[in-house]
Amino acid sequence: MDTMLSAGARSESNVEVHKYYGGAVPLVCFLALVLQAFLHKYGRVAELVDLPLLVTIYFGVSRRNPVSGMFLGAAIGIAQDALSHDNPIGMYGIAKTCVGYVASSVGARIDTEHPIARFGLVFILFHFHQVVLAVTERVLLARPMPMFTLRLLLDSLVTAGVGVVLFALLDRLRRRQ
Amino acid sequence: MSDTLISRHRPLSLLAALILVQVLLLAFQIKRENNVRLVRYWTVQTLTPVERVGTWSFSKIGGLWSGYIGLRNARTENARLQKELDELRMRNRELESQAAEGQRLASLLNFRNAHPEASMLAAEVIGASADPTSHTLFINRGERDHVHRNLAVITPEGVVGKIVEVFPTSSQVLLINDKESGVGALFAGTRTHGVVKGSGDPNPRMDYIVNDEKVQVGDKILTSGEDHIFPKDLPIGKVESAKAAVPFQVISIDPAARLDRLEDVLVLLTQQELTPKKTDEPPAAANTPPHAHN
Repeated sequence: MDTMLSAGARSESNVEVHKYYGGAVPLVCFLALVLQAFLHKYGRVAELVDLPLLVTIYFGVSRRNPVSGMFLGAAIGIAQDALSHDNPIGMYGIAKTCVGYVASSVGARIDTEHPIARFGLVFILFHFHQVVLAVTERVLLARPMPMFTLRLLLDSLVTAGVGVVLFALLDRLRRRQ
Repeated sequence: MSDTLISRHRPLSLLAALILVQVLLLAFQIKRENNVRLVRYWTVQTLTPVERVGTWSFSKIGGLWSGYIGLRNARTENARLQKELDELRMRNRELESQAAEGQRLASLLNFRNAHPEASMLAAEVIGASADPTSHTLFINRGERDHVHRNLAVITPEGVVGKIVEVFPTSSQVLLINDKESGVGALFAGTRTHGVVKGSGDPNPRMDYIVNDEKVQVGDKILTSGEDHIFPKDLPIGKVESAKAAVPFQVISIDPAARLDRLEDVLVLLTQQELTPKKTDEPPAAANTPPHAHN
């Protein structure tokens, strides 16, 4: 996947494309999933943050390649579905595929290195993720899932805040050019 | 062109494909109401209208085709039945004709059996006069059958006329309603004599009846035998109308024999009076009072 991501990154030249140490991307994704599952044991606190979403956004924005971004999102989403108890596989997959695509597309056009830009981007993509998830649930499962609530707003704010910190940490995994 | 479009929008195409794959993945897992998998539900929902349209189309086409074939068969069947109907109608007419002929011949036979003392010859009417003012007809008996002039021609119903011309195998009959015809006659009731003459009309007249004579419609008129042609007391007809005139009454007669529809007749080879031995349908003489024979 790393190779694929690198290959995809070469197509974008107008914005700086970041590269990471070998195995860093899969490892970070794996850890995000594990940590998310681990934190789930602590109930509401874990639900405030969506680590797989943050990882999807971060690598999508950093690599600035829609193809690699969507595949990474799909892989993370499907894995997240697989770890969940009652989600049919593909629910988070579709949502995170879309998020990965949009994040990569946005990252290819604007600079998202600034913390405020990152905060805003995560905030927006969180809700975009939620909308896609809700639409998928409504259409495929015929289950009424809210697109926006105050709790989701709180979650998005917390996730965006955590994202700013996490993105700064993940920046350290970048290979110097 | 589609290749160019896909390569131009490669990321978007891949996104659509990826989402589609996952949607299908979900469709295989998700079960809707009645425990039906979503993929099956979609498939059925997608294919059912197509199948319905296909079934409807095949049904309509099949209906049209069977209707067309049925119509063709019906047309053929109709033509066959029409032909059969025509044949049956023709056959029916033949049978009716044969039945009528049988009845006529039976009537002639009965008449002949009722008068064994009289020599008579059955004949068939084979033609009529071409002149509309002449009331004559031709029969299929002639010299070879010993037919000669002035023989009486009758039917079981009454007098028809007399032989006026004889040919080897046919004869011409002058009907009693011809202008040239004259038959000695009398009223069955009063025994008043007169002469029945043709007038050119379908109905002959009774001449030489004075105005003092009481004549009523329906009075029966018989042959008198005075003409030496027709035997005495053969029915000629009934009075249809009687008017006083100068010097004699004008009496119109409704002929007993159906002169306009003759097919079979009897030629009396003798003028011998017909005395019925036993009759199923007695001639008018049976209804008349006894009288003296010539």
